[in-house]
Amino acid sequence: MNEIVTPEVAEDLVSAPFFLRGEVLHGTDVIQTSRDLGVTFATPRIPFDRAVPPRTEVPPLLNVPLAEIIDFLVETGQRLLASENPHMQECIERMCRTHILPRAVVENTARHAAAYLDKRVLMAEVEQNFPDPRALDEWVPKEDFTGRRSFVRAFAPRLIHVLPGNSPGVAVKSVAQGAMVKAINLFKMSSADPFTMVAILRTMADLDPTHPIVRSMSAVYWRGGDEATERVLYRPQYFDKIVAWGGGDAIANVIKYIGPGFQLVSFDPKTSISMVGREALVDDATIDAVADLCSADVMTLNQEACVASRFQFVEGDEAAVDRFCARLHHHVARRAAESGDVRPLDRDMREAVESMTLMDDEYGVWGRTDGRGLVIRSDEPVDFHPINKTANVVRVDSLDDAVKWINVATQTVGFYPFDRMATYRDRLAAGGAQRVVHLGEAGPSTIGNPHDAMYPLHRFVHWMAHEDGRGRSA
Amino acid sequence: MGTAADKLTSLVADPERFAFSAKELRETQVAALDERFRERRDRIKLLGLRARDAGIEGIARIEDVVPVLFPHTAYKSYPESYLMDERWDRLTKWLGTISAHPVEGVSLDGIEGIDDWIARLAERGHFISCSSGTTGKSAMLIASQKDMDWSKVDTVNVFAWGSGVVPAQDRLIVGCAPVATVPKNATIAKAQYDAFANPEWPRWNYPVPPITVGSLTAMVVMRKKIAEGTARPDEIAAFEETSAERARLVADAVPATAQFIIENRHRKLQLSGLWSGLWQVAKAVRDAGYGREDFDPDNSIYVGGGLKRAQLPADYQEYVFETFNIPADRHFQNYSMQELNSGMPKCREGGRYHVPPWIVPILLDKSGDEALGHAEGEREGRAAFFDLSLDARWGGVITGDKVSLDYSPCACGNHGPSIRDDIARYADLEGDDKIGCAGTVDAYVRGVA
Repeated sequence: MNEIVTPEVAEDLVSAPFFLRGEVLHGTDVIQTSRDLGVTFATPRIPFDRAVPPRTEVPPLLNVPLAEIIDFLVETGQRLLASENPHMQECIERMCRTHILPRAVVENTARHAAAYLDKRVLMAEVEQNFPDPRALDEWVPKEDFTGRRSFVRAFAPRLIHVLPGNSPGVAVKSVAQGAMVKAINLFKMSSADPFTMVAILRTMADLDPTHPIVRSMSAVYWRGGDEATERVLYRPQYFDKIVAWGGGDAIANVIKYIGPGFQLVSFDPKTSISMVGREALVDDATIDAVADLCSADVMTLNQEACVASRFQFVEGDEAAVDRFCARLHHHVARRAAESGDVRPLDRDMREAVESMTLMDDEYGVWGRTDGRGLVIRSDEPVDFHPINKTANVVRVDSLDDAVKWINVATQTVGFYPFDRMATYRDRLAAGGAQRVVHLGEAGPSTIGNPHDAMYPLHRFVHWMAHEDGRGRSA
Repeated sequence: MGTAADKLTSLVADPERFAFSAKELRETQVAALDERFRERRDRIKLLGLRARDAGIEGIARIEDVVPVLFPHTAYKSYPESYLMDERWDRLTKWLGTISAHPVEGVSLDGIEGIDDWIARLAERGHFISCSSGTTGKSAMLIASQKDMDWSKVDTVNVFAWGSGVVPAQDRLIVGCAPVATVPKNATIAKAQYDAFANPEWPRWNYPVPPITVGSLTAMVVMRKKIAEGTARPDEIAAFEETSAERARLVADAVPATAQFIIENRHRKLQLSGLWSGLWQVAKAVRDAGYGREDFDPDNSIYVGGGLKRAQLPADYQEYVFETFNIPADRHFQNYSMQELNSGMPKCREGGRYHVPPWIVPILLDKSGDEALGHAEGEREGRAAFFDLSLDARWGGVITGDKVSLDYSPCACGNHGPSIRDDIARYADLEGDDKIGCAGTVDAYVRGVA
């Protein structure tokens, strides 16, 4: 691990080019450092004028029918999956050097992400987000009961996206959504993955370098928080909305620039949990099967994603819950071994776990702090953020006692048994949660469903009204 | 106690203690580390666990101690719920896992708050110092009477060596910072007073409410309650009110202290505090029309800690020195931390922090996992130290500091290891470029730092 930190010699330096509305910009003006692994990579300086089209320009996609946009995205998806696509191959090679996740997980995630570029998926997305998707293609006539007429359009917005570094899937989704709302898009890539977005856009440009989608997209990198860049770009004169994924610092940093005319659409930092009823503990076979489902949720994207379960509230006495913990550890460790991802836990977490190992009359610990899978059983949630294949099983007498731990950061609740979900969903929502799913299904979701308690595309567009006065004379 | 460790700690008052080169000290230091390891691995439970995990049986080279150094966070590894729910028996048991002496026989009946718990421990000879770090959780550092006695001697030696101020009991000590009321700070303040203050002149204490461990942990508990959603709006309103009241008292402390200094300007002063407080008091003194010519040219100053994120003008140090007529070579600075028992004073000639023989410095890689194997010249890395003078807890600590450690002789003529005057915290250097969408409820908590 240490040799990676040593700065590479110039010819070995990973290069991260920019994409500017169809053109690829190579350069080694700035030497950057990736988060987590501290790998250096080089980027050009940002040519601001090329990255930000003036507002006098009508967005290139405005009058391209949605159906055509979707066709182009679908074709892009097929090219992304093609084994001979040089951009994606190169991207994966480069990414394996900057990204914390192992190659197999990165490759798999990239493949999986391309599946989003499917006609039925994209149509469902639009139809669920807009009561009348026609508003994307045309000025839709309206008339109120007093006879006032107007036209309403889901007008093409100007979006600056701050992408997260944990999943390449977000790049695919963001480019598709940015295209479907016909936006002018500037993507700020992350230091953990300054490659995927450019690879997707280059694949698009190979299809048609002058396509309006291609001319609507730019992707650049700068170090998050860099005032010299952010004070230039984060302005209502240039963008309507900032679409920010991110941890607390990232959002807090962006908020400084929010003001009249420059709105935040935030995919806030989230955590997810599991709730397991006593029905799971009736016999060893059931314990094993439910623990396996539970481990799938814990291990989503090797627990780097917000949908990955951190805390598992399990209903039962200590002996039964401990049997569940042992099987959960078995399945978490199995999935961890299959992924090939071995990173020791962060120092602070290691400390806390060691402390619990020493306080063994109160805590149960299965596994070690070596990053091969760990389960901690406690009477209430531990006060660190379980990550890197760590499950915290919280024993409760009743799932009713688990509800108080739901909060505004709780995204997904994986639930077992399924027939008790309906009795809990109102209390989960009241506590702040946004989604309850069958245990083991935190990853997949119903196509077009809300995300982070909102319909994102509906939030992205610039709702424009053209009032046309009273139709009939009164 | 080990003979090698005794040999090194017996140099505590030796005027030539910084003269020994790392090479000269190495053999004795390795032997001392080995002694400490063997006598404590069965007494400190956390050390025993670490040693078993790493398969360490003894220390043959300085690098061997790295796997059993404690990160500075080890002293805050207790679950916060112990504080929230006032589970003194659990907290006492946890303390026992990091203590070199059994924490036994402490009466836990009817304890009212953490300050009371700490007082009960002190009755049994366990002195707890608390520091609150960036995470807001307080580190609990256990010390013995022996540690207290050591601090008393070391603090005077360190200050006298680094500042050139003779302990002649001829000064008026003026505190310009709120002081946390923990045993170690009280001991140090008393030792400084006994050595440097005119016994007829009581110390001026900055007139702000004392920072007790209880008041520190009240913030931590409040933060957790807000995060969990159990804090009621009335509680938050009361908390905000207390904070505002405190801010008002702190603001009032500045003119009161400036007034006291002006009234005593004919006396030889020893100012102490943090830069932010000292600068504000200096400004108030200047605004009242006083300055250099009104003060004794032999005045001295003891500054603790860094800037602590205070926003001050670039020339804040010169401004303070100039105001109180403090000679240029009196610029005392000390590199230390709550986790250690001893200080590393900065020399006046070479401007570097000097490591005494009983502290073994070890340079680690950025992650803190491995020794850089640094044996000569200057090199940069994460600082770790083993303070052989510590009695009540394990002396080995991995800091959060990025330092340049130099084994070459210093311009001041001393041959011992020294540290460049550009210490930074890794946490402050990392920035906020980390964007994942997995996050905790902490991002939603506002108003309780």
